[in-house]
Amino acid sequence: MSSITTAATPAPPRARRVASRQQWIGLLYVAPAVALVVVFFLIPLGMTAWMSLHNWPLMGEHSYIGLGNYVAILRDTRFWNALRFTAYYTVIVTIAIFVVAFPLALFVERPRPLTNLYRTMFFMPAVVGFASASLLWSWLLNVDSGLFSPAAYDLGLIDRKFNLLATFQPAFWSIIAMVVWKVAGFTMIILMAGLQSIPQDLQEAAVIDGAGPFARFRAITLPLMRRTLALALILSVAGSILAFDQFYIILRGGPRNQTLTAVYWIFNQSFVSFKLGYGAALSMVLLVILVALSLVQLWLLRKPEGLD
Amino acid sequence: MRNLIAKLALAAAVLGGGIGAAAAETANIWVRADGSNFMPRIVDAYNKAHTNQVKLDIIPNAEIIPKYGASAAGGTAPDALSLDLIYTPSFAAAGQLEDITDWAKSLPYFSSLSPAHVKTGTYKDHIYGLPFSADASVLIWNKKLFKQAGLDPEKGPANWAEIATDAEKVNALGGNIKGFYFSGNCGGCNIFTFTPLIWASGGDILSEDGSKATLDSPQLRGAIDLYRSMVKKDLVPAGAQTDTGANFFAAFAAGNIGISPSGAFAIGALNTQYPDVDYGVTFLPGKDSGWSSFAGGDNFVVTKGTTKLPVVKEFLDFAYSLEGQTILAKYGSLPVRGDIAKEALKDLDPRYQIAAEAMAKGKTPYSVVFNDLINSANGPWTQMINEVFFGDDVDGAIANAQETMQSIIDQAPQK
Repeated sequence: MSSITTAATPAPPRARRVASRQQWIGLLYVAPAVALVVVFFLIPLGMTAWMSLHNWPLMGEHSYIGLGNYVAILRDTRFWNALRFTAYYTVIVTIAIFVVAFPLALFVERPRPLTNLYRTMFFMPAVVGFASASLLWSWLLNVDSGLFSPAAYDLGLIDRKFNLLATFQPAFWSIIAMVVWKVAGFTMIILMAGLQSIPQDLQEAAVIDGAGPFARFRAITLPLMRRTLALALILSVAGSILAFDQFYIILRGGPRNQTLTAVYWIFNQSFVSFKLGYGAALSMVLLVILVALSLVQLWLLRKPEGLD
Repeated sequence: MRNLIAKLALAAAVLGGGIGAAAAETANIWVRADGSNFMPRIVDAYNKAHTNQVKLDIIPNAEIIPKYGASAAGGTAPDALSLDLIYTPSFAAAGQLEDITDWAKSLPYFSSLSPAHVKTGTYKDHIYGLPFSADASVLIWNKKLFKQAGLDPEKGPANWAEIATDAEKVNALGGNIKGFYFSGNCGGCNIFTFTPLIWASGGDILSEDGSKATLDSPQLRGAIDLYRSMVKKDLVPAGAQTDTGANFFAAFAAGNIGISPSGAFAIGALNTQYPDVDYGVTFLPGKDSGWSSFAGGDNFVVTKGTTKLPVVKEFLDFAYSLEGQTILAKYGSLPVRGDIAKEALKDLDPRYQIAAEAMAKGKTPYSVVFNDLINSANGPWTQMINEVFFGDDVDGAIANAQETMQSIIDQAPQK
């Protein structure tokens, strides 16, 4: 509070000069970061926006077509189907991740024998890249030379090898299982940090007041974890909307193109059909959707008035 | 005065050009990974025998097109590349390639170059690509399994009914042994090995100029029924349904498959990597008789505006010589010059002769949107083959693919 008052009172000329010089030095300090953001984010973003206004094939001349690409998107039913599937996947996988990660976080939060071992174990898959994890699971799920189906067959659980990736439901839930296996540990760590920041005395006071474990969870734990939940939720939703690797590597968008995500469609348009301008326009649409969704989530999970 | 300067400049340019041609030059050439066996050999042989040199880069199959496009935009494209022949029309349509019509027609052996390659290398009556490497689709069968199943190991199936009965007999051996294999989720594999069954029976999936999709034919339905019946009788491993091409060759090479449609490349690959597999090679048959083949491989194309055209021509001329064709044949490509094919193959595995014959009569569909229609893992052809081989709604799948393919053709840039 005191620093704000100082800044608000008119400073003597000399002090102001010092302040302005300090501002310049501050700018200098952040300059590398600003340069990185400009070179690797703002300029490419500007170029994408610029390309989205062109008919831009991989080879040959490009031509300015104004909003032509965006008009084409409105009629591109396969993109909207991909977007619908992406939304469906995002909802399911986010719920699945939280359903697994929350109990894990509660389990590893308090010190108990072997806690560190459990934490490490649950977190381990998170350090594997999505592409490598997909390759691993693509083998596990293979019907002829993989693990699940051949193992079940050899154990006599099924009398015919079952191809998990051949029809939509088993294929989709296999992907969900793989993503949960890979991401739940990371979400668990975030949630655990949130749990640990809740003052112990609040819980103890509630116990003395006679609150049961469920009431304490609902009235103390959940409200105080709002911001942690917001972080975990935004990370999960943003990551799921941009999902690509697992569907590309394990399923190739199959069975029968039923698991094409929005990013997959952008990839196909840009690097299979070589319509770079159209791919750029699709990316801009997806960016707008993602920013809007994140804003909505931040607003929903904002800090309630009067609570610090 | 100005005139004089212009004349001097012209003289200098002529002199400079003359000097440049005399000194050794190096041309950059790219090839996709499929050619990584024969291409370095032929480049080495060329470099040893000539003052001009060729520098070769091998690019992964899936990346060569985007990489070439990006480098063309940046002005660093190679002088020439060996390009999957089905892409030649779309590259030519994009204005990316040098018109080599006059040079091509001046070659004394022009008329005996693989017709399928020359057809896809021609765009609007101009030639932009010439044959370089070749691969034809054939049917291969496992002689050892045929013998065990009580079949004549020296006689491959010659029509669809024989494919089905032979596969069933081999399948009856039981255990890990299956009668038939195909990559059921791979558009590229099936245009290569499944459409010849249709062609050999008199049908086609695209009109001659690629402007109409013609999927709904009795021949296509017949071929679908053949595959469906084998899937239904459990003659095909369960993994085929989701195989995007990774097992296209490996399944047969493991020695547990009776019959599999494949390509000439398999002959070289089996001989060198799986010498224990005893196999036969025959044509992909029609319903009752006849045969056909997909003529695949690479066209040699020249980047528009390259200054190394003489080197590129010299290299290609060398590749077309008997020496060049023999090197290609020895390391996994079929010869592309019909008139000397027999001679180039005479010391090699006799099974190559079948493949060379298949190549000479081979067909290649022509389309500027071939990738979107056929090869794309999410394109209409790939989706259709998976649905019709394994799904329940054959009619719906064919109708859907017909409609999607036609709309892709109609939306293609008209130039």
